Amino acid sequence: MLRVRKALDYRDMPFQLRYIGQPDLGDKNRPTVVRSSLDIACSGMLIDFLNELGCRIEFEYSVKGYMFRKGRMKITVAKVFKISQGSMPPEPISQSYLVELSVLAPQGQDMIADDMRAFADQLRPLVQLDKIDYKRLGHMAGT
Amino acid sequence: MGVTVLQQYPVPENKTGTYVIELLTKRILALGASQQGQFLVDCESYLSHPQMGTTKTVHIFHNSEQPASVFSILDTGTKNIHVIADGLFDLLMMKLSQHYTSKKQTKIESKGPRFELGDFCIKLGSVTMNQSFKGILVEVEYRPCVTANAVWNLLREFLQGLLGPSVPVQPPQHLLSRMNDIYTPIDTIYQYLEHFSAYRKITGMRST
Repeated sequence: MLRVRKALDYRDMPFQLRYIGQPDLGDKNRPTVVRSSLDIACSGMLIDFLNELGCRIEFEYSVKGYMFRKGRMKITVAKVFKISQGSMPPEPISQSYLVELSVLAPQGQDMIADDMRAFADQLRPLVQLDKIDYKRLGHMAGT
Repeated sequence: MGVTVLQQYPVPENKTGTYVIELLTKRILALGASQQGQFLVDCESYLSHPQMGTTKTVHIFHNSEQPASVFSILDTGTKNIHVIADGLFDLLMMKLSQHYTSKKQTKIESKGPRFELGDFCIKLGSVTMNQSFKGILVEVEYRPCVTANAVWNLLREFLQGLLGPSVPVQPPQHLLSRMNDIYTPIDTIYQYLEHFSAYRKITGMRST
């Protein structure tokens, strides 16, 4: 799976291409989801390039919000918007904010996951920051 | 970044590539140039699997002049699309190995000494594919200028003086339609692609 990111407020910045692998197996007992990832800065013709490479667009959205750091942890608090057609202002998908907590770490360094768990617990009950079971999500989408 | 012209230098029948490099090195040094290290441009090509329909080729280039970048040109059969990315793009190609496989035996590179002479930068490359010698590519860059049209005559004169009257110097095919555009590093890569593709088609092998 590939994701292409583009800053809408700094338009001359490069595109960011991110590869993310499937969630690691044996994830059950871990406090967080672990996936392999690659972040690559790319020049502008990336979308055409990926289309011709054989990739198909699955979805597109924009987010606007805040980003915080705590050590190696990255916390984003943002609203998700539908991509606007024409001159219409972007329409938020929900009034709620989506909170995401992530860390980029070398392979096998799982200790940081416990820190993430501890941090996530601090935000309760205002924010329900839980590990997402992707298998269950996929199943729900299928039914 | 200036304008670069890449030119093939024919190797005489009974001479080796090393001999030609030494000959050209002497000429450049006699002009007053100084050697500034080595350079390397390499290209690896990946082919799409047949079940994906028409075969597409992804050419991955590295150039020591832009060491933090990976240049990738996708040849769809009808058009070329390029993307310039950072070094991690190489790892992405490994992740795509299910769909695109590397043709290792066609990995090709041009490497050799790099010279500076005032505003010019000259590179003498021996082209090798799979350790077998393929030919000589001479790269000349005029650095203060960014449009090919404005500097072509100067570059031609310089190349003609360096390579001798027996070598025909023509504007590179890739530049013909872009003579008035701003020259960027990817234009150099397209010139290498042109020459490397031609070398790959030559089956004959010669010793260095």
